[in-house]
Amino acid sequence: MSDTLARLNEVFHDVFQDDTIVIARQTTAADVEGWDSLMHVTLMINIEKAFGIRFSSSEVAGLKDVGELADLIEARKKP
Amino acid sequence: MTFPLTDELMEYVRAAHPRSLRGVEEARQAGGDDFGPVVEMFLTWLTAVRGRQGIVQAVDEFVKFSTEVNLAQARYEADGHYMHKSFAELLADHYSSREAMDDYLWGVFLTNVLWAHHFEICLFYRNRFLAKLPGAEAKIVEIAPGHGGWGVWALHRLAKSRLEGFDISPSSITIAGSVSAAAGVGGRARYELKDALDLAKAPPESADAVINCFLAEHLERPAKLFEVIARLLKPDGRAFVAAGLTAAQVDHIYEFRRESELVKLAEDAGLRMTESFVGSPRRTLPKAKFLPRSMALILAKRKGEFL
Ligand SMILES: C[S@@+](CC[C@H](N)C(=O)[O-])C[C@H]1O[C@@H](n2cnc3c(N)ncnc32)[C@H](O)[C@@H]1O
Repeated sequence: MSDTLARLNEVFHDVFQDDTIVIARQTTAADVEGWDSLMHVTLMINIEKAFGIRFSSSEVAGLKDVGELADLIEARKKP
Repeated sequence: MTFPLTDELMEYVRAAHPRSLRGVEEARQAGGDDFGPVVEMFLTWLTAVRGRQGIVQAVDEFVKFSTEVNLAQARYEADGHYMHKSFAELLADHYSSREAMDDYLWGVFLTNVLWAHHFEICLFYRNRFLAKLPGAEAKIVEIAPGHGGWGVWALHRLAKSRLEGFDISPSSITIAGSVSAAAGVGGRARYELKDALDLAKAPPESADAVINCFLAEHLERPAKLFEVIARLLKPDGRAFVAAGLTAAQVDHIYEFRRESELVKLAEDAGLRMTESFVGSPRRTLPKAKFLPRSMALILAKRKGEFL
């Protein structure tokens, strides 16, 4: 697991309060119990805090899976 | 009864937007037996304007809009106030941007039937407002029609009624015009690009009904809007007004915190609330301090201080 994915996995644990979640690039909302539209936004706000970045609403709406999310974080982290 | 367009919409949400399914299912539950017929009516208008592909496009726009709303609400929870304070910045960046506004309006169009608490407002509108409007020949004014759906529904129910709609966005004038034509009532509707507050100079007591949904929270001074509504209404007329409370959106400026604030604005303008309905989403953000609500008021003109 890459550093980003590992850190992301911790955020998933906190947000969904479930330490058994193991995410991969192909993980989608269908794989995580409770990942609905409100929890999605909660997740994004927590990721913003964890990585010190900020998303726009179209970025947040368009994400299809964890892979796209990790790529977005990587791109945002670059100076 | 079958509702093929509604079924198609549900299938598309399930396949393409699984995160949004729960909310849409909540709307279906809130609507009960009314869900199919009402959503089908909205989608019939939508597909008549945009073709069958319009369902997919509008659902995508609805999901984008709803995400924007949820994100704005989360930022509001953190900041304690709405994002924007001035109407001028929104006029330039938002209302006048053609492409963004088209998507926005179709997204909003679907929120009226796909958010559970807005579906409840639709039923309140149909059962308590439209059902009681006087005579088929009513003259209706719609302020800020956006996509036009609310007013078109009124024209659809009242066979000889006529409607004039005023909105500040060019997208609204085009979309509301095509929705009314698609619903077969275009000949009885006229839409004009105009700031609602300029209606303060319109002929007084000229409307049997005024419809105004989800504008008050977009204004710096909503008191003026209620004065316009009071001016336009005939003595026996009725107004339907809806607004959001502690419900953040990029373009919400005026932060209503309590239901009584809306009632007070109406009363101060010479109106009287005859009925109201307040709905809220079935779920909120974890640890939320604010409950986003949508309030609808049916207003009559007050004839004296207590009448
Ligand atoms: C949230 S939409 C509501 C659309 C529709 N009434 C509904 O409830 O679904 C707000 C609408 O208000 C319009 N608007 C904003 N400020 C306005 C103003 N000062 N005068 C007239 N319309 C305005 C916008 O262009 C937009 O169409």
